[in-house]
Amino acid sequence: MKKSDKKGIFLSVLSVIAFLGIWYLCTKVLKLVPENTLPDPVKVFSTFVDKFTNPNPDGGTLLQHMGASLQVALTGYIMAIVIGIPLGILMAWNKYVDRFVRPIFDLIKPIPGVAWIPLMIVIFGIGLQSKAAVVFFSAVVPCILNSYTGIRQTKEVHLWVARTFGGTRNQMLFKIAIPTALPYIMTGTRIALGAAWVAIVAAELLGSTRGLGFMIQQARGIYRTDIIIVGMLAIGICGAFLTAVLGIIERIVVKGRKSND
Amino acid sequence: MIKNKTGRIFEIIFYPLVSILIFLIIWDVGVKNSELSVVMPGPWEVVSKFIQSFAVPIGKYTMVYHILYSLMRVVPAYIVGSLAGIILGILMGWYPVINRILRPLYELIRPIPPIAWIPISIVWFGIGEGSKWFLIFLAAFVPITLNAYAGATTVDETLIKCSKMLGASDGQVFKTVVLPYSVPHIFTGLQVGLSTSWATVVAAEMIRSTEGVGWIIISSMDTNNVVQSLVGIMGIGVVGFILAIVMRKIEEVLCRWNRIET
Amino acid sequence: MEQDRNLDIILKCENVSKKFQTKHRTKEVIGNINLEVRKNEFVVLFGPGQCGKTTMLNILSGLEKTTTGKVFLNDREVVEPGPDRGVVFQSISLYPWLTVMGNVEYGPKVRGINKKVRKEKAEYYIELVGLKGFENSYPNQISGGMKQRVGIARAYCNEPDVLFMDEPFSALDAQTRYLMQEEIMRIWEKEKRTVIFVTNNIEEALYLADRIILFTNCPTQIKKEYVIDLPRPRDYTSDDFLKLREEITENMAHTL
Repeated sequence: MKKSDKKGIFLSVLSVIAFLGIWYLCTKVLKLVPENTLPDPVKVFSTFVDKFTNPNPDGGTLLQHMGASLQVALTGYIMAIVIGIPLGILMAWNKYVDRFVRPIFDLIKPIPGVAWIPLMIVIFGIGLQSKAAVVFFSAVVPCILNSYTGIRQTKEVHLWVARTFGGTRNQMLFKIAIPTALPYIMTGTRIALGAAWVAIVAAELLGSTRGLGFMIQQARGIYRTDIIIVGMLAIGICGAFLTAVLGIIERIVVKGRKSND
Repeated sequence: MIKNKTGRIFEIIFYPLVSILIFLIIWDVGVKNSELSVVMPGPWEVVSKFIQSFAVPIGKYTMVYHILYSLMRVVPAYIVGSLAGIILGILMGWYPVINRILRPLYELIRPIPPIAWIPISIVWFGIGEGSKWFLIFLAAFVPITLNAYAGATTVDETLIKCSKMLGASDGQVFKTVVLPYSVPHIFTGLQVGLSTSWATVVAAEMIRSTEGVGWIIISSMDTNNVVQSLVGIMGIGVVGFILAIVMRKIEEVLCRWNRIET
Repeated sequence: MEQDRNLDIILKCENVSKKFQTKHRTKEVIGNINLEVRKNEFVVLFGPGQCGKTTMLNILSGLEKTTTGKVFLNDREVVEPGPDRGVVFQSISLYPWLTVMGNVEYGPKVRGINKKVRKEKAEYYIELVGLKGFENSYPNQISGGMKQRVGIARAYCNEPDVLFMDEPFSALDAQTRYLMQEEIMRIWEKEKRTVIFVTNNIEEALYLADRIILFTNCPTQIKKEYVIDLPRPRDYTSDDFLKLREEITENMAHTL
C-alpha cells in the first residue's frame, strides 16, 4: 500500500517534469513556435516573479491586480450570500413566496452571468458597482438553488417529532430545517464563489482599468504572452485557493454532518 | 381526482403566469416612476422587441440566425470536448497509473475558468472560429472529465465481483460495468458542461464577432442600446433553458434504469 | 433419480485459514477448516452473526485468498473468480442498467456464447424462477423478492459446478423469505446443483439443508456437522424439525 503510493507520487512528479521538459524543448531548444505565441517556461516563471514588483506594462503589480479583482468579487459575492440564502430558504419554506418568486427565478437561472455585463455597464458605468452587480447575478443563482434544495431535504418525520413536542413553525425552521440544509447551503456558497470568480474575470476582460482580467486583456494587445500565462496562472491559483478556504470553513461548520458531495 | 388535476394545472400554468405578470408590472411601474427611466426601458418594449427580432433583423440577421450561429460554435466543440472528457475521466478513474500521470496536468488547467483563456486563445488561434471552438472545448472538457472520473471511481464493488464470478475478463468488466455505471455521472457533467459552454460562447462572441446571440449583447454596448441588450439576454436565457431541457430528456431516455419507480 | 447421491467429491477444502492484518495486530478470522462437499449436495454454513461465514464463502468462490490451505474444485485449485462457480450475493447486486433478460444472460454473453443459445437458456431459467413476463423489466421496477430470483437465475444461467449463496434472503421481509425458501427448494429439486448456502437463520438452514455445518465464532472453525435427512418438503412444525432446531440452537449458544 505505502509502496505503491510512493510509486504513484513519483509518477506524478515525473509527469510534471516531463511536461515542463517538453514545453522547454519545443520553445527554447527546437523553436517550433515563436516566443510571442508561446514563451518558454523559464521566461514565464521569471515574468511571474518580476510581475510582483513591476507595474509595467499595464500599470499594476500582480498583487495590485489580484487585490482589485478580489475586492470586487467578494463584494458581489457577499451580496449574493446575504440576499440569496435567505431568499432560497424562504422560497422553500413559504408556499406563497415560492409561487411568486420561483417562476422569475427559473427565468433568470439559465442566463449566464456574463450576459449581464453590457447592461450593467450601461446602468452603473465602468466601475466597482457594475462589476459587483455582474458577480452578484452569477453567484446568487447557486446560493438560492442550494438553500432551496437543502430546506426541501428536511425529513417529514423530524418535523412530525417537532410538532408532537409543540414546536412552532419558526422553531421548526431554525431548529430542524436550516440545520438539515446547512451542508447544502455550504456547498452552494462554494459553487457561488467559483461562479463569482469567473464572472469578475469576464467583467474585467470587457470593461475595466484594474484586475487580473484587465491585465491579461492588455497583455494580449501588446503580444506579451508570458504575462497572459502568468495572469491565467494567478487566476487559477486564486480560484483554487478561495475554494480551498471555503472547503475548510465548510468542514468546520458542518462538522459531524454528512456532506452531500 | 379531477379536482387534483385542475389544481395541478393551476400550479404549473396559472401561478407562474401571474407571478411573471406581477414582476413585469413592478418593473414597469418602477422604471416609469424613477430616474432609472433614462437608461432602462419598460418591459413591454423589451418583450415586443424580442418577438419582433424573429422577423426584423438585428444587425445583419434575425434572431433565429443569431441563435443558429451561436449553436454552430457550441455544438461541434461541445461534442469533441465531451468525448475527450469522458474518455480521459473514465481512464483516470479506472486506471490509477493513468490518474497519477495525467492528474497533475489536469489540475493545472482545472481552476482556470474558460473565460480566462480568451486572450491566449486569440493569440493562438486568431479571432476567427478557431478560438471560439477552443474555448468551448475547454468549457465542456473540464467539468465532464471531473464527473466521468467520479463515476468510474465509485463503481459498486459487488457488481465488479459479480462480473468476475460470471466469467468476465478485465476488459469486459470495464465495458459492461464501469462504463454503464458512470453514465449518470457523465450526464451530470454533460449538463454542467453544456451550461458553461453556452455561457462561454456568449463571452467569446463578445470579444470579436459579427453575429451570434453574444454579439447582440456586445454590440448593444457600443450603441448604448439597452433594449437590444435585454433582447439578447432573453435570447440567451431561452436557448439555455431549451438546451437544458433537451439534455434532461436525453438523459431520461438513456438512463431509464436509474429512475426510482417502485 | 432420488438416489443419485453419488459420492463424487466436487469441492474440497484443506486446512484453510485466514488472517487479516490490521495496523496493530493480526486477526484470525478462519482457523483451519477442512470440508468436503459432494456433487448436488445442499450444504448450509450456519453460525452466529459476526463469524467468518462470508469470508469462508469468498474463499471458496475464489474472491478472497487463503492465508494457508487450499481449495479444490473438481481437483483443480481455486485461485481466482471464475464461471465454474456462481454466487448469489447478500446485497441484491443486479446490473441496474440491464433488464431482467440482460442480467440473466450476462454470464453466457461475456463467455461468448452465441445469441440464440444464450437467449433460450436465459428464458428457460427466467421461467424456472417464476419471472416469465418480466424479461424486459428493469431491476428498479420489480420487488426485492423478484430481484433475488433474478440473482438466482443469473447464477444458474451460467451453469456453474457449484452455487454459493451468501444470506441471499436476509434483506427480504419474513413473509417473502418463507416463500423464497420454498422457491429455492423447488428450483433446486428441478435443477439439481451443488449449493453452499450461508445463513444465520436456523429455520432456513433446517428447511433447506442436506447437511448443516455449524461454525463457531471468531476464529471460525467447524463445531459440528448435522446430516439432515428429513423428507422434503419439510414442515417447520414437525416434531423432528423442532427437535433438531432445539439441538442446534443449544449447541450454537455454547459457541457464543
